[in-house]
Amino acid sequence: MADKIKILYIDDEMDNLTGFKASFRLDYQVFTSINIPGAIEHLVNHPDIKVIFCDQRMPLKTGVEFFEEIRTTFPLPMRILLTGYTDIEAVIDSINRGNIFRFVKKPWDEAEIISAIEEANKFYLANSMLSIKNDELQKAYSELDKFAYSVSHDIRGPLSGILGAINVAREMYDIAEMKEMLFLMEKSLKKLDTYILSMHDYYSLQRGELQISDVDFNSLTDEFKHIYTAFANTSNINFKININQHEPFRNDVAPLKLILNNLLSNAFKYQNKHNSVKEVELIIDVRKGVATIQVKDTGIGILGNHIGEIFNLFYRASSQESGSGFGLYNVKSALLKLNGQIEVNSILNKGTTFKVTLPTK
Amino acid sequence: MELSFIIIDDTELDHFIAKRVITNRHKTAHVKSFMDATLALEHIIEERGDASTKVTLVFLDIYMPIMNGFQFIEEFEKFHPDIQDKYYIVALTSSREVSDINRIKSYRSFKTWLTKPITAEALSVLLNKICKEFNIQLPE
Repeated sequence: MADKIKILYIDDEMDNLTGFKASFRLDYQVFTSINIPGAIEHLVNHPDIKVIFCDQRMPLKTGVEFFEEIRTTFPLPMRILLTGYTDIEAVIDSINRGNIFRFVKKPWDEAEIISAIEEANKFYLANSMLSIKNDELQKAYSELDKFAYSVSHDIRGPLSGILGAINVAREMYDIAEMKEMLFLMEKSLKKLDTYILSMHDYYSLQRGELQISDVDFNSLTDEFKHIYTAFANTSNINFKININQHEPFRNDVAPLKLILNNLLSNAFKYQNKHNSVKEVELIIDVRKGVATIQVKDTGIGILGNHIGEIFNLFYRASSQESGSGFGLYNVKSALLKLNGQIEVNSILNKGTTFKVTLPTK
Repeated sequence: MELSFIIIDDTELDHFIAKRVITNRHKTAHVKSFMDATLALEHIIEERGDASTKVTLVFLDIYMPIMNGFQFIEEFEKFHPDIQDKYYIVALTSSREVSDINRIKSYRSFKTWLTKPITAEALSVLLNKICKEFNIQLPE
């Protein structure tokens, strides 16, 4: 039922409407209306109506006038005129102005109606495919613009810093000062390195196919446990992991790791330096084919007006640490790929919780 | 000190370099550093009464999180003209993006702009110009 093409037929003669519906309701989902307001109501309630048939001779308005009127408000459906009269001038004129896709003579021949619907449907699909492609292209262009801008700053930035440091070093004779500068140079280069690695993540998320396999969250998190526990110890952060998985879970491991790694690294990075108790908690629950992953921190939190933007490419809500503006964007792309959802809850200066839900594949 | 300095940038290395280039030229210079532009704005509001300083040269990075250079300058231009007159703001950018340069030129408060890194030569040209304009004698 859901797959049937939706069509709408407007005619001021009840008999025609009934006959039309009787002939075509098995193959199509047919809506009918005896007048224009009723037709508009159908169009509002069913925006996926693909083909509209309209009688030319109606008491208040002609079919041609009706089509001309709805062309801007409901541009998507294909418009087909039904006419038993020979007011062919008006019809030709309307076809030429692009208001009508086809016209069918009354009384109609069933085969002719069916062929008109099938043709119209092909056109409809081609048009909507074109508009989807157009939207994708628009999005790709705007990302490309952002990229060009970011590359000139985020890549040239660290490089110009290093060049400046080399210049300054020519007149530097104090070893301690030199070492301080080397430390800052290293920091800048690491930032550049992270940027390039994240750019690679970005690219592989946009292109790669999914590779589904069994996921064991215990062994998956072992790797992170190792890396972050070392970090937690040196920065005095309490790192808790709690995993509850008693059923198989299938998904693509690579984007999953990317999500976990980005969320954890943010949780560790954006800690509140003045807090006496610093904590990061990773909770994973797998139940009824859904994995719920929570990453909680006692960090600096995110200002309410930034929350809507943190998933945008190159958006950064803090200057505390060197971010590339890729992390959460990549998380969002990965989740899009895996059909997952993410929620954020944050209280400024108290902490942030990211909650991810993922279905098994 | 008749001339003092403020550096607003989110990169530590760039602070270090700017500071070093300034103090190489003029050892006892007063240089204040801000990693976050909002804090620099607060500082300017508080500092307004400092009469001994004729002008403060501000190096302002354009590309920063939270508040970027353009957002800073828009807030700055809302200040009382007497305050604004005491700051000579120079945009710092790591890119040669035409869109950035054009945008920089569109703000009256950006006196000029420099491409990073700041060099001794560029600073020297800038200081000569400022000293002339504000009638300042810089100690060597």
